[in-house]
Amino acid sequence: MPEATLLLQFLVTGAGTGCVYGLVAIGFCVIYNASGIVNFAQGSFVMLGGVVTYSLWHALHLPLAVAALGAIIVSVALGVLTDLLVVRPLWHRRATMFVMILATLAVQIVVERLTLIVVGDAPMSLPPILSRGPIHLGPIVLDTQVAFIFAVSLLLVAGLRLFFTRTATGRAMRACSIDRDAAALLGIPVSRLVAVGFALSAAIGAIAGILVTPTQYTAYNLGVPFAISGFIAAILGGFGNPFGAFLGGLMLGITQSLATVAFGAGTRNVFSLAVLLIFLLLRPQGLLGTAKT
Amino acid sequence: MPSNIIGWARLIAGVLGLSAVAYIAVTGNYLLTALGFAAIYVVFVAALNLFMGHAGQVSFGQNAFAAIGGYGSAILTANHGWPPMLAMLASALLAALVALVVGQATLRLRGHYLAMGTLALGLISYEIAVQWEQVTGGYMGISGIPPLSIGGFAAETDRQVFLVLALAAVLACWSVWRLRRSRFGRAMGAVAGSEEAAAALGVDVARTKVITFVAAAVYASVAGSLMAHAVGYISPEVFGLHMVVVGFTMLYVGGIGTTLGPLVGAFVIGMLPEVIRGFRDVQDLVYGVVLILILIRAPGGLAGAWRR
Repeated sequence: MPEATLLLQFLVTGAGTGCVYGLVAIGFCVIYNASGIVNFAQGSFVMLGGVVTYSLWHALHLPLAVAALGAIIVSVALGVLTDLLVVRPLWHRRATMFVMILATLAVQIVVERLTLIVVGDAPMSLPPILSRGPIHLGPIVLDTQVAFIFAVSLLLVAGLRLFFTRTATGRAMRACSIDRDAAALLGIPVSRLVAVGFALSAAIGAIAGILVTPTQYTAYNLGVPFAISGFIAAILGGFGNPFGAFLGGLMLGITQSLATVAFGAGTRNVFSLAVLLIFLLLRPQGLLGTAKT
Repeated sequence: MPSNIIGWARLIAGVLGLSAVAYIAVTGNYLLTALGFAAIYVVFVAALNLFMGHAGQVSFGQNAFAAIGGYGSAILTANHGWPPMLAMLASALLAALVALVVGQATLRLRGHYLAMGTLALGLISYEIAVQWEQVTGGYMGISGIPPLSIGGFAAETDRQVFLVLALAAVLACWSVWRLRRSRFGRAMGAVAGSEEAAAALGVDVARTKVITFVAAAVYASVAGSLMAHAVGYISPEVFGLHMVVVGFTMLYVGGIGTTLGPLVGAFVIGMLPEVIRGFRDVQDLVYGVVLILILIRAPGGLAGAWRR
């Protein structure tokens, strides 16, 4: 009996981390759908979310909510700058996919190193955003922060669903994901949508980073691991499908959590990679995806 | 004799570059260490060039194979007293084996998937180096690695070390050039151009990719071994994402897909730390910015400009 409870407990914790991976994965999809680009600097948004919030809160003594808002703004600015300064010139030159990947990876490195120079390499953490004790659901203890992660993630996913189905911009972005050239012919401003995609994706990434920081810690070099987990989640869900991506994130978080219980924390990433390879070999279109090249 | 201005410019640049290297080597300047370091990177970048420039594939995880070489050499020589050349050979074999297994799985992937898969490979090798403390020494790394030696001859002074490393660099460039011009090299070029067309011409695409991946892994492993012996100390940081960024910057500055690109890029970028003289954090920042600028402004690199 205690073992079953423990297992359930790990499932809940895993799902909490999974929500964060899911948000990172959605960030990948939003840019990919608008532009066909996989942004390898996605992790820098997640890292900045946590690090900037911490810095504003700790050094400038701003209230946590204001600091978080500041972090989101910084991330969005970075997203838009990445699009304007790096992606757009390469896009106009019709650079190969590989060059685009390398350039965005270089952006990741530049942001990471700048962060290291400005705030140093000490790990930093945030207090839980809601300050009350854990919630007891029968035998399971739900950490308030994990509950908060669930709530915010679900709200965001619902909000994005509305955005993609009800607003003109969201619909135009979906049109782009189906056929960019046809969308352009119909008068949809594709390059402006790519900028919107980068801004939106950066905001989602930053929120993911802010949410996850109180449950673990963050540091300048945590962007790439989060990006890889998010990318794996996006593939599990069927690349380009934001809601599939969120499911993929949940699945990955739970897998990692179970691997930690069974084989120790060091094996988490080995298991993520194993899940990725199994999916790529057996079901490359992912959970909810349709085969698309 | 060159027939036009560009030809003369090439000749002069080449002569100036070579004489600078020769001058530093003969006078035993403090820059010799930096030059040796650049020579090691020539081997690493030549392999990147083989896999990406010539075969048209993508790998962000070549540092994993350098780590196998570096740790293999360090553990076998420093802890078990193996002769350096034998340790280097054994490590390269292990790297080839790992590349064969990993390559079978990952090279089925294309595009973004392959890029992210190989990036994850590099990250995992870094984590293993940090976590597997009883073998790798964790963050502390491994020190007391002996210098390179064959039989009774050991490369001990800076000048001897540099000569060995320079020889390795030249061998690497030459062998990649030979490989590119062989029958297998033409198959590689066909795969880079169009996999469908190559298959139609009778090239075994999957096999060509895996063999190229294994070959690139062996070069990377040798570069890792050379690094271990030249510095005498290794840690996970040596083979981290830093190595990938430096490698790509060198490849693009030199010119991807060219024969001399790795040589030019590694020496130009390898001397950069001596110019900026900052900490590693600043260096990576500079590398990243240079890489972005090159990709946007001059995708052909220096060798690309050279050819024009």
